[in-house]
Amino acid sequence: MAVIEVKHLRKAYGEQEVLRDISFQVTAGEVIAVIGSSGSGKSTLLRCLIDLEQADGGSITAGGVVLMEDGHYRSKKEVRRATEKMGMVFQQFNLFPNLNVRDNLKLAPRLVKKERADALEERCARLLRKVGLAHKDTAYPALLSGGEQQRVAIARALMMEPELLLFDEPTSSLDPELTGEVLEVIRQLAAERMTMIVVTHEMGFAREAASRVIFMDQGRVAEEGSPAEVLDAPKQERTRLFLRSTLK
Amino acid sequence: MAYFTGILPFLLEGAKMTLFLWIMTLALSLPLGFLVSLLVRGRFRPLTWLMEIYIYIMRGTPLMLQLMFVYYGLPFIPVVGPWLRFNRLTAAIFAFALNYAAYFAEIFRGGFLAVPKGQYEACQVLSLSRPQTLTRVVIPQMIRVALPGITNETITLVKDTSLAYVIALAELMHGAKATVSRDSNPAAYVLAGLIYLVIVFAVTLVFKKLEARYRLREK
Ligand SMILES: Nc1ncnc2c1ncn2[C@@H]1O[C@H](COP(=O)(O)OP(=O)(O)O)[C@@H](O)[C@H]1O
Ligand SMILES: [Mg+2]
Repeated sequence: MAVIEVKHLRKAYGEQEVLRDISFQVTAGEVIAVIGSSGSGKSTLLRCLIDLEQADGGSITAGGVVLMEDGHYRSKKEVRRATEKMGMVFQQFNLFPNLNVRDNLKLAPRLVKKERADALEERCARLLRKVGLAHKDTAYPALLSGGEQQRVAIARALMMEPELLLFDEPTSSLDPELTGEVLEVIRQLAAERMTMIVVTHEMGFAREAASRVIFMDQGRVAEEGSPAEVLDAPKQERTRLFLRSTLK
Repeated sequence: MAYFTGILPFLLEGAKMTLFLWIMTLALSLPLGFLVSLLVRGRFRPLTWLMEIYIYIMRGTPLMLQLMFVYYGLPFIPVVGPWLRFNRLTAAIFAFALNYAAYFAEIFRGGFLAVPKGQYEACQVLSLSRPQTLTRVVIPQMIRVALPGITNETITLVKDTSLAYVIALAELMHGAKATVSRDSNPAAYVLAGLIYLVIVFAVTLVFKKLEARYRLREK
């Protein structure tokens, strides 16, 4: 079954059409890399999926729960039930600066899922080990490097046990020497068959970790296929142009 | 020296009143100002406008005038006037609390504006409710930004309480003035000044501790 299904998604800011008739599906265990030049609508797409932005038309179904259908949003409760299945990691991390690492991880599951404290504690410790930050559990975000903050943000998203994890350029605000440690964590999640949609400019990462690549251009899915197909033998002239521009 | 110790007990009585007015004003105006800042941010437009008008009036007219209006003016309002006849202390607390709430509301509003949009978005994708977002994430960050401004206002308030002498409230300034005219000796002013300094010193100390605590929690 599709973890998420998007049909004819449309979104405009005023006159400007940012998403034009986007359709795709993601099945469990897939890792989708979304590539495309700046302004092509990648962030807007992710933000519509998780209801940070309102779409103007189309349908979104997450894990069998309809979020919107033919441009009509379902009730607040249904939308919430659909978005609860997703997690999101932002370019700017957005950790809570008033809470230490451990409390950043536990806040939402404690308040939203109302789980037992020892179960939370156990999962928190396990996820911090997974991202290699068990020793920073009581540090405040301000004292962490960008790479560490982003790894905490990933662990925080995983605490909610999402069926689908969205990443919006997770390494774009990091110094080059820190991108590796974050991509490594995402690679590891891919190996564990975590379903993910990753907006990225890291073509090497897309080639190795993605099961499918979506190239977006001016609000459309311009090309879609395996990394080998899209990155090594693109059919569209636009894809070729874009890929050439990213080679430095 | 003997003269100083002679008038000290009388001035300390006034200082007690000053402190009481100060504490009551803070106890009322901080929560009220917080509430106003929430209403200003709220989505119900008429309430936002009403609160902005309130803030504008409170900040745009002299506190002394507001004080005199509450004490001397309110009882003249038709129909409800007789119910608005306060004793001096109540009138002073009422006027100070309304005035300071407006200033605190502005400070809190600035604090709210300093919380980045990404914090709200992070809360939303983690499925936190709006009240949870506010109490667990936004308000703690807002307070940290607002605290220095709050400190300044609380210190200003110590000195502003002296304005209550215009409605003859028996606070420190009133006591000093009475002593000076009775004895034709300005020493009471000096002593009153020293007492204000001591109070301000103590208040500053407390708030610096508070600010340091808030900073430390994030390092
Ligand atoms: N809040 C907004 N208001 C108006 N225009 C926006 C807003 N957000 C994004 N846009 C516009 O939508 C287009 C797509 O933006 P975005 O989805 O951020 O692209 P990408 O993530 O691919 O760089 C851009 O032209 C951008 O200027
Ligand atoms: Mg973007």
